[in-house]
Amino acid sequence: MSPSDRDDAPPDFSLFRRKIVVGGGLLLGGLAAGTRIPAAPSDSATADFASQFMQLSSLLIPHQLDPNVGLRLAVALRTKDPGFTGHLATLLDIAKKKNARIVEEFFSDIPDGPLKDTALLIISAWYLGVIVDAPGAEVFAYELALMYQPTIDVMTIPTYAISGPNGWTSEAPPLNSMPTF
Amino acid sequence: MDVGGSAAQFYAYLLIRLGFEERASLMTNEDSADVVIVGTGIVGCLIAQQILDAGLSVLMLEAGPRVDRWRIVENFRNLPPALRLHFDAPYPPKAWAPHMESYTDAAAAEYLQLEGPNARAYRQGYVRYAGGATWHWAGICWRLTPQDMRLKSLYGVARDWDFDYDTLEPYYTRAEYAIGVCGPSDSSLQWPPRRSKPYPMGPLPFGPGEQRFTEAAARLGLKNLPSAQARNSRIAYDGRPPCCGNNNCIPVCPIAAKYDAATALPKIEAKGGRILANAVAYRVETDQKNAIAAVHYFDPDKRTHRITGKIFILACNGIETPKLLLLSKDERNPNGVANSSDQVGRNMMDQPKLVAELTLAEPLWTGVGPVQGSSIMQTSQGDFRSRHGGALFRFNNLARSAFGGVAAVRKGLVGRALDEEIRRLSACTAEIAIEHELLPDPNNRLTLSSQKDWLGINKPNIYYDVGDYVRGSAKEYSVPLVRKLAAELGATDVQVSTEFTNSDHIMGGTIMGADSAASVVDLDCRTHDHPNLFLPGGGAMTTAGCGNSTLTMAALALKAADAIAGQAKRG
Repeated sequence: MSPSDRDDAPPDFSLFRRKIVVGGGLLLGGLAAGTRIPAAPSDSATADFASQFMQLSSLLIPHQLDPNVGLRLAVALRTKDPGFTGHLATLLDIAKKKNARIVEEFFSDIPDGPLKDTALLIISAWYLGVIVDAPGAEVFAYELALMYQPTIDVMTIPTYAISGPNGWTSEAPPLNSMPTF
Repeated sequence: MDVGGSAAQFYAYLLIRLGFEERASLMTNEDSADVVIVGTGIVGCLIAQQILDAGLSVLMLEAGPRVDRWRIVENFRNLPPALRLHFDAPYPPKAWAPHMESYTDAAAAEYLQLEGPNARAYRQGYVRYAGGATWHWAGICWRLTPQDMRLKSLYGVARDWDFDYDTLEPYYTRAEYAIGVCGPSDSSLQWPPRRSKPYPMGPLPFGPGEQRFTEAAARLGLKNLPSAQARNSRIAYDGRPPCCGNNNCIPVCPIAAKYDAATALPKIEAKGGRILANAVAYRVETDQKNAIAAVHYFDPDKRTHRITGKIFILACNGIETPKLLLLSKDERNPNGVANSSDQVGRNMMDQPKLVAELTLAEPLWTGVGPVQGSSIMQTSQGDFRSRHGGALFRFNNLARSAFGGVAAVRKGLVGRALDEEIRRLSACTAEIAIEHELLPDPNNRLTLSSQKDWLGINKPNIYYDVGDYVRGSAKEYSVPLVRKLAAELGATDVQVSTEFTNSDHIMGGTIMGADSAASVVDLDCRTHDHPNLFLPGGGAMTTAGCGNSTLTMAALALKAADAIAGQAKRG
């Protein structure tokens, strides 16, 4: 089910219509009703930055990543930390030097301190769906938060149906059977 | 023709005619009804429907707002993970209708003023929204057992109810059919196995964790029973869909498969009942005969309004109803309305809770099916009740994926190791809740705090001590037993909480009994002091038992509704 089809929430309320503030302007981080088109930032600097962020995120996290969530996370992380753009570039360099394709190939090369903190914060944000986990914090992803995926073969994401009426059993796959996501 | 005479007759006719119309409009305008109900939770709504079916008019007051289900679901999805276990968080209170907010200790101390050795255990969660606490309840519908109602005769403690289980049984059945309760047809799995009719719907399936818990309990000679639940099973019931395993019963069922009283509100209005939301009752007014004449309420602009009627019902919950009675002191009732016994606000009960957190070598799994689907109940019964209370044990089936996710991310893991640790922590940890039986103690008491809310209404102050009856149960009985259960599950680590917390089953503050010197309401929940005032709900319960209180509240509501309908019709 595409996010725009879900529930009874009025279209205005859909997270995918959430407006993103970049500098002084507004970007529509959303989409026409019924479609799921990645957001196209209106200025090329932001587009480059978003693209770099997705590139690093994919290196840190070997899973499918939603570009709408990515754009919002990227902008928010940059707003929160002025050094973020610099860290992005440095972390990508470290990965490139190792010809890394997955996180295990370059993570140990990241020095402790602000660079490692940034790398872990990016991972945390994608998995938890928040940058800060505290009352009042903005939520960037709920059902797309990656933390639900390692158990998605057994557990529902709360508020979403497992299947149909009484549609579950007490069977469970083995622990070492990791879902693909 | 004598014009003067005709004119006089004409004007006389007009006066009589207007008088009739005025009287008629009194009964159908916004300020009056045959039956006035304060509170739109399950108790108020069940009674409203019965009264409307009996052909009487009903006006309901609700302190808080009406809301749409989608809004609560979206509020929940937009909570950061840290808040998702605070089930009041999707229900921000209105300024005029505060309720406890649990997200920090400081926030929780704002409204309920709590004191005593177990103050923390009376941090009761409920929402002041139209539909009340059934928005966020787990939906569990245990009945009391015959023994639960005879503690004095059988064990020499507490009180006996002044009617027996068989008197209440038909009302339990009516309540189950009114709200749609599912449960087993096999009497060896029923609790208690003393029923006049089958459950309206058959049981829901167990998830993996519940099944494994059931097997472990069986090896100890204990039965983990499928819960009686107000959740549609396999079929639609009463215009609501069956459960599809959304695992979000607490704080809100996204599809209304779980019964909540919010679904009753449009039905009440379709039958001609009127509901005034954002109307905070603050005073019950008596007349010279000490009958109830009116209820006064504030609107959000702090303007006051007066509602009259023939019969008045306060169904605000076990804290708000005694609070309202105490606020209503007058010359005739110097200790508060309905309080000649001095029992209003006393005997506050709940089931004090402890929690065992388990780490396991093998996966158990949660998050499949409703958040609570079973319990061990036989441990609530026994001769030990002359010395200490019973307890129920419940495997918590709330999905532990967010717990696993947050814990694993915090360890600084990455890549494959992160994913595996999330899966392991989610699958191989579990929680068992223990809910204890507590006795009515007049010292466990609600009074009016000197602190006032936004409207200038006194906040509730509650003193609470679970007592040696509960502490002894934990020490000698329930905690040793939960450790055995954990061991049987193969737990590699068990942490049992030591501080009792709330189960949100608010009981006792307007206790029921035949003796007007020792109780607030009679066996139909009619106040002893005022024949046209009823206080159905948890506050009327004479003893608490171990099981969730809602079905007993609903049964008492229907029993009261029969009495109210009869009384209203007799005028």
